[in-house]
Amino acid sequence: MKLLSFLISFAKYSLSFIFVLGLWEVYARYGGLNELFLPRPSKIGDKLYNLFFKFQIIEQGTIYWHFFATLAQMSIGFCYGIVIGNSLAVLAAFNETFRRYIAPYAVVFNVTPGIAVLPLIIAWFGFGWESKIALATLVCFFPPFINTLTGLLKKNDEAIELFQTIGATQSQYFWKQQLPNALPEIFAGLKLAITTALLGTIVAQFGSATEGVGILMQRFAFRLDMAGSFASLVTMAIMGLLVFTIAELLDRRIVFWRDTKGLERVSKKKQRKLSTDG
Amino acid sequence: MAATAKKKPKQSPSGQTVIEGNSVTKVFGETVTALEGADFNIRSGEFISLVGPSGCGKSTLLRLVAGLIEKTSGDLTVNDEEVTKPRTDIGMMFQKAVLLDWRTAIENVLLPSEIQHRITQDDKQKAMASLDLVGLKGFEFHFPKQLSGGMQQRVALARLIQTGANIMLMDEPFGALDEFTRERLNVELMRIVGELKATTLFVTHNIQEAIYLADRVLVMTPRPGRIAKIIDVNFERPRDISIQTSREFNIIVEEVRDTLGSH
Repeated sequence: MKLLSFLISFAKYSLSFIFVLGLWEVYARYGGLNELFLPRPSKIGDKLYNLFFKFQIIEQGTIYWHFFATLAQMSIGFCYGIVIGNSLAVLAAFNETFRRYIAPYAVVFNVTPGIAVLPLIIAWFGFGWESKIALATLVCFFPPFINTLTGLLKKNDEAIELFQTIGATQSQYFWKQQLPNALPEIFAGLKLAITTALLGTIVAQFGSATEGVGILMQRFAFRLDMAGSFASLVTMAIMGLLVFTIAELLDRRIVFWRDTKGLERVSKKKQRKLSTDG
Repeated sequence: MAATAKKKPKQSPSGQTVIEGNSVTKVFGETVTALEGADFNIRSGEFISLVGPSGCGKSTLLRLVAGLIEKTSGDLTVNDEEVTKPRTDIGMMFQKAVLLDWRTAIENVLLPSEIQHRITQDDKQKAMASLDLVGLKGFEFHFPKQLSGGMQQRVALARLIQTGANIMLMDEPFGALDEFTRERLNVELMRIVGELKATTLFVTHNIQEAIYLADRVLVMTPRPGRIAKIIDVNFERPRDISIQTSREFNIIVEEVRDTLGSH
């Protein structure tokens, strides 16, 4: 029953998607669109097919190589970003002086478009992977910082009193209450960071690069190969979707107590575990 | 006087003094006197209700005994030791259940044991027994959000039992629950603390509840918070809920009202 209703809704969404694409295709075929601006879907599809299944070499590599390079740069930048962001957040959460001094910088940093420092980043880190990783790190560390800080500072006087009455130490309070209590916010920060890291990586590739989906997009566009540009865009969307889905799945698994489904799943699992343990 | 309500001699163990306060005063900041010159003497196994309107210092008194806040002046001892910090023989329950959402009922109950040492099989069995005692058998692996408000407070009570504390401080534990749930929980609470022979301080702003549960009622009045009167309640235990409609019961209710009203 569940599967059937899923298939039906899946079919509905697919059909509406195909319908829009079809409309676009027909309109373009009868000359309604200048293909130098907007290529028709079949041409984009054709390009994607060539790139992904015919292993067309572009800029010294297949699309998979460019995909991998971008993913790798983004992941490294993301890891640096969350380590920096979360460390700063923990420091700020525990040290009020630090928090007070860092606050104005955080505000200024937040309103400055991070992407705009790309020329500086290139001057510092050169044209290789380092500059991509650096920009990704720079643009993605802020969401984890501010979200984790908010999560850790959530007011919880009664929980503090409870832990005091049962004789808990500061670190026990942190590990058993404060940190898990902040996990929903921490994951919200990670999900924001993962998409901004991708943005930073690709923009850095625009600056100069020998590999990456960003550089593909740029080369195609400069050659007025619109189908190629759109194919790159679709590739970026796929990448974004992929990393975001991974983050979302992790979030649901770890912060299971946010929705009833998660609660039921873990509750049943623990019950089963007990009965097999004897 | 409460003596008019006296039917039987006191049932509660008239043991030795466990908690003693002499002119206990708490001033917040410079000017807000939350509690002034409180004198009291609580014996082992007694059930004491603290009743009064908001701002009468009943929560302050509770937190002083818990060692969560420091008194400004006076003497306050638990088992003849000056209270300076929280102690493991005192457990507390709050208006909110304060359960960890990511832990099942039994994992929540095990928290106090876990804070003290590594969990043993014994602890687990004790936690099962505690949950059973509060009527939550079969709900061990439910998460707080899967339980009703009343059941959440039952878990909190089981957690308090798990601490092994023989002094239980309760800050309006059922205050956020509906009337029916609260009444049922009161009956069970009385049974449980009776079984455990725990000394209990129970804060409430509900006069009936205060009298129904208590061996003695500390009536408190605000601005500044002080203990206006200590009234003995000598109904035989176990008490039926129907005593609340008896004449003797209502005489005490009147007495509490008069004390609160005259301030």
